[in-house]
Order: sequence, then C-alpha cells, then structure tokens
Amino acid sequence: MQPRSENLIRLKPGHSAVISQLIHIDPMLRRRLADLGIHEGASITVKRYCLWGGPVLLECRGQLLSIRRREAARIEVSGS
Amino acid sequence: MNNTALIGNPNTGKTSLFNALTSSYQYVGNWSGVTVEKKVGQLRNKAGSITDLPGVYSLNPVSRDEGVVATFLVGQEPSAIINIVDASQLERNLYLTLQMLEYGKPLLIGLNMMDVAESRGVHIQIEVLSRMLGVPVIPLVARTGKGCHELLEVMSHNSSQTAAPDWILDYGETVEQAILDISRELAKFIPNASLSTRWAALQLLENNQAVRHALKLDDDCSRRLDTLLEGTERSLAATDPSMTLTHYLRSVRMARIQEILKSAVITQPKARPTLTDRIDQMAMHPFWGVPLFLTFMYVTFKLTFDWLGNPLSDMLDTFISGPLSTFISGALEALNVSGFTAALILDGIVAGVGGVLVFMPQIFIMFLIISFIEDTGYMARITVMLDRLMEMVGLNGKSLIPFIIGFGCNVPAIMASRGIEQEKERTLTMLLVPLMSCSARLPVYALFAGVFFARSQALVVFSLYILGILLTLLLAKLFSRTIFKNQKSFYFIELPPYRLPQGRTLFRSTWEKGKGFLRKAGTFILAGSVLIWMMSYLGPGGVAESMDDSFLAYVGGLIAPLLQPVGFGTWQAGAALMTGFMAKEVVVSTMNIIYHVPDINGLQVQISSAFTPLQAYSFMSFILLYTPCLATVGVLRKETSSWKWTAFSVAYAVLLAYLVSIVIYQGGKLIF
Repeated sequence: MQPRSENLIRLKPGHSAVISQLIHIDPMLRRRLADLGIHEGASITVKRYCLWGGPVLLECRGQLLSIRRREAARIEVSGS
Repeated sequence: MNNTALIGNPNTGKTSLFNALTSSYQYVGNWSGVTVEKKVGQLRNKAGSITDLPGVYSLNPVSRDEGVVATFLVGQEPSAIINIVDASQLERNLYLTLQMLEYGKPLLIGLNMMDVAESRGVHIQIEVLSRMLGVPVIPLVARTGKGCHELLEVMSHNSSQTAAPDWILDYGETVEQAILDISRELAKFIPNASLSTRWAALQLLENNQAVRHALKLDDDCSRRLDTLLEGTERSLAATDPSMTLTHYLRSVRMARIQEILKSAVITQPKARPTLTDRIDQMAMHPFWGVPLFLTFMYVTFKLTFDWLGNPLSDMLDTFISGPLSTFISGALEALNVSGFTAALILDGIVAGVGGVLVFMPQIFIMFLIISFIEDTGYMARITVMLDRLMEMVGLNGKSLIPFIIGFGCNVPAIMASRGIEQEKERTLTMLLVPLMSCSARLPVYALFAGVFFARSQALVVFSLYILGILLTLLLAKLFSRTIFKNQKSFYFIELPPYRLPQGRTLFRSTWEKGKGFLRKAGTFILAGSVLIWMMSYLGPGGVAESMDDSFLAYVGGLIAPLLQPVGFGTWQAGAALMTGFMAKEVVVSTMNIIYHVPDINGLQVQISSAFTPLQAYSFMSFILLYTPCLATVGVLRKETSSWKWTAFSVAYAVLLAYLVSIVIYQGGKLIF
C-alpha cells in the first residue's frame, strides 16, 4: 500500500510526518537542511505557523528551525 | 611550532571552548578573499597555538566563508585537530567528525553540552564512542570550563605519540576504486605524503570545490579528475538512477553514524515539553510575541540612554572637559609647548575626540544588551516573528539584527550582516543600515531639538528615527524591484535552545562590537578633528583673524548655495555637514568651533539665531540621511568588496537626503 503523500503545511501544529520529497525546494536550502540531517526519511514535526503568512516553525531530529511557508509548501511528507 | 585547529558545527560552544583553552588570542586579519576573520590563540598549557576555524556542518562548503576550513586543511596542515561535538546533536555533528577522521591527523573530540543531552534523556557511553571512532573523547561543559583541563592534558600526552586515527570507512567497490584512481593522480601534487590522498579523493568525489581549488591541480590533471568523477557517477547511476555521487557518499557515512549511535547512545525520550518550548510559548506567542519584542526594544533604548547611558556619559563628559582638560593644559604649559600646538591639542584633539568618547557608555550598554539577546537565542526568535514584514520589502528576517545594531553604531552593524547568507539580501541590508539613526547623530538632534522643540524633544527625535525606518522599508522595496530584481533567496534559521549566556563570552561579544566604534574614534575622528581644527585656524591668508576668513569658511561657502533650497545655505551649515562626513558627531564639534563658543549653552544661543525651527528640522533630517560616515564607508567597502556599491551607498544617501530635506523645507514653508 502506497503511503499517501501530502504537503507539509497541511499538517496541524503539533503533528508529525515522515519527509518523502525534498526535490522541489531551493537547492541551497536543501543542502542546509541536509547538513542538519533533515532529508528524505526523517521524521519532522510542525510546531507552529506564524501569523499573516509568516515562517513555519519545525522540529526535526531534536532541532528547532524555521523556514518560509513558501518553501515548506514544497516539502512532501507522508504517513502523518 | 605546533599548530592545532579547532573545528566543529556552528552553535556548539566552540567560542566558549576556544576562550577556555587559550590564555590570549588575536585576530590576524581576514582569511584571504573572505570576510571571516582568522582567530589564533595561545594554548594555556603552552603547547603551541590553536586556530579557530569557522563553524561548518561539513567540509564541503556552501559559501565562500565556509570554504576557508577546507582551504586551511589543505594548505596549512595543522599538527592536531580538536573537534568540538554537541552531545545533544550527535548524529549531525558526527558527519563532520567522520570527514576529520578521514583527514588522518591526530584528532581529539571534545564532547560538549553533555548537560543538555542528559536533560533530553540522551545518555552517551563515552568509552564505546571513543572505541568506535578510534580517538579520545573528552566530555566537556565548555561554558564553565569543565573538562578543558583534561582536554589539554590528553592533547599534550597525544602529541608525543602522534596518534593519528586508524579509520577506514568502506564506500563500496565502485567508489573505492575511484578513490584509488584519484589518489594516484593526486600523488603527483602532494609530494611529501603529508596530506592524506584518500581524504582528498573523497572530498573531490563529494565535489568539494574549495579542496579542488586549494590543491592547485594543473589542467591535465583536472581533466582526468573530471573524467574519473563522471565515470564513477555513471557507474553508480547504473545500479540506482536516482543516486548521485554526493548523495551516495552521504548515505554511506550516515549509515555508519547510525551504527555508532546504536551502540554508544541510550535514549530515554522525555515526554515533558522542554524549558525552551515553554519559553517559546510566550516569546513567540501569536498575539503577544511582537509586543513583547517591542517592549524589550523600548527597555533597551531606555537603559542605553535615559536610565544608565546618559548619566554615565555626563560623568565622563564632566571628567574630560574638567579635570582631564585642566591636567593636559597644565602639562602643555609645563612643557612650554607653542600656542599653536597647545590649541591644536586642546581645542582640536581633546575637544573633538573627547566629544565622541563620551558616547562610550551608551554604545557599550546597547551592545551588551544586544549581545545578550543574541546569546540567549531570543534574537533568532525575533527574526522569525518579523520575517514576514522583512519579506514584504524584499529583505530577510536576519536583516533585523544588523538594523538593530545600527541604532548603536553603523560600523559593527554592517559587519553583522555577514550572518545573512544570501548575497542579495546581504548587500541590500548593508546598503540600508546607514539609514538606521546611529548614536552619533543623537548629539545633533539633542542640540537642535533642545533649542527649537524644547517641549517636545523626545517626540521630534523619535520622529527622526521613524523617518529612517520608513525610508528603509520603502527603499528596500524599491531596490528589490529594480536593482536586485531576479535574485532568488530563501529564509532559514536554526533556533538554538534558550540558554543563559556565560559572562566571559558575553563580554567578548560586546567588546567585538564596541571595538569598531572605538577604532573609528581613534582614527577617523582623531584625524578629522585635527584637520577641521586646522582648517578653522588657518585661512587663505595665513592664520585666520576670525572664523570667517578660515579655510573652513571658504570651503563651506562653496557648498552653501547648493544648500539654499533645503533651508540652510550658510557656510557654517555647509562646513558642519562636510565635517560630518568624518563622523556625524563631529557636526556638533565643528559648530562649537565655528561659532567659537566654549560650551553647549553658548552654542544653543548661536544656533537659535542662525536657524528657524523648520530649517532645524530640515537640517536634522539631512544629517539623518546624507552619506554614511567615513568609517561606515570604509567598512562597507571591505564587506562588499566593491567600490561600486560603496559609491552607490554614498550617492543615493546624498540624493535621498537632499530630496527629503527639500520636501520638508519647501513643503513646510507652504504649510506654515
């Protein structure tokens, strides 16, 4: 059974999922995330969404980080 | 002489460790070609020197600043490495460690932040870790200095055995063959076998451009290398089409790291939210978050000025113009110094430089508070909350830090822009920092507002700050749409756990920022004060009889007609503005000299008869906006590495100042 793939920003705050696709995001950002061990297969949690379309707060592998919604929308996750 | 290199991820407490291990340190200029400064210190146990390398996640650089690390490792060949590792982020940190093990020089691991790891339920078995990596692992709490003594001991013990790690990670047949082939090629360029060819080969396979560049291969070898790389890439793709070479290497290393972690780390996940989480509930609260930040800023400014800074500054002023001046003039008399020199020293240097040094309290207090905000981790949260606003005008949340620092002094603010990775936003931020009303402009505001707007001083000064901020947002939008069109960017920030900054690191941080200001005072303002004083003393006809005959008046008079439309077409204003280019505080010093008054009261009387309130406001706006001071221009040139941008920043500032002042003055004349 194929795990359904969906957009990271569909997750509600506090919910986690496994990253399935990072291909679509800015290559330099992808590299930065990889440096932190954030790549396909890693479990990621949405902590909160900032107001007025601001950045998203994420947690992955015990690290807290923030990226813009626009980029987060390009991350695919599955199995939430 | 032994040279050790200190390497590790960013945010691992490397700076604290460096401070704890060294008895003294100095910046030996910049690494060539980049803005990062090279920091070398003397180890406490007199075992030689230690170089602090910039924090990186991997030797394969993302930016030029990061490339410094790989370049150093190829070119300098340190005799030993200390790798600082964050115990609470072991998986990520070990990625760099593995690359350093492959480097083949004696390696020591300092396992820092053990306390943070424990609080997260992460228990690391040091001996197992040490055995699996093949190198000594010493637990540390760098903040308190705990463990550093042992680290130094093990270091000196090690050096007598030159214990290089015996580490081989098998990358599979295809890659191992490639390593052999590449090593053969490289052997011609690394004659004395001091640099591990295996390490170099692996870095090249990972497409590390910095290493490639540093090896200085000739064209022939370069071409053969490219062929080898392509071949390897193809072989890998044959088995798995989606696998790139870089990806493959990373996955091999990650697999090994997982093995190590499984054996060496015991995790008891704690379900309770951490302290950081709880603080963030408040700090980043959707409703209260920004007001809380504004309150912090308000308190910062209050402390910097009203509550603490101004009183200290006044005391300093009293001292400089009182006992110090008396002492110096007494000494000059005793030494029988000529009238010219005495006047030069007292009226030029002491008055000029002293007038700037009285601001030291405000500057250092503000920088202390800002450093505190940075070191606790709160600054990162602030950039997140305000990123949306910044994004709307084409900036980045990270631009906020230089802007805030800019309210203290533009010089360290521009240096702080280094933290912005994306070039477009970094350049844009640096161009806009001068619009942040630095503390140097305050004496001008204080003088004029005190004379003309006595009852609403604070409001008037505040309006100028706001003017600067609004223009910044406007110009950011304008520049992004025009000059910086078509440049991609993204926002990314890591939010460290909240922590209480350690005193020593905090003071060093503050000093780094305040140093810029002092250096400015010691050089530009000193030179400027002497120059201005001389220009006011001498004139086309020798020693000037009165101020009106001096060079200063002459040059000021040349500019005066240009300043008619903006409301202050007098040689005095022209001269003052010109000298303000040196450093904006000097405007007041110049006016002191020009109107030849001994103190602030006399000056106020003179000013009130020379300007109208509208002209005064126009003048203050002009001071706010026109050209960054000389020191700022200097640092802009250094940080942008471009005369084009430096010239642009001066040009647009002057133009902007002129336009805004015209609008204020002419518009004001129509209304009032």
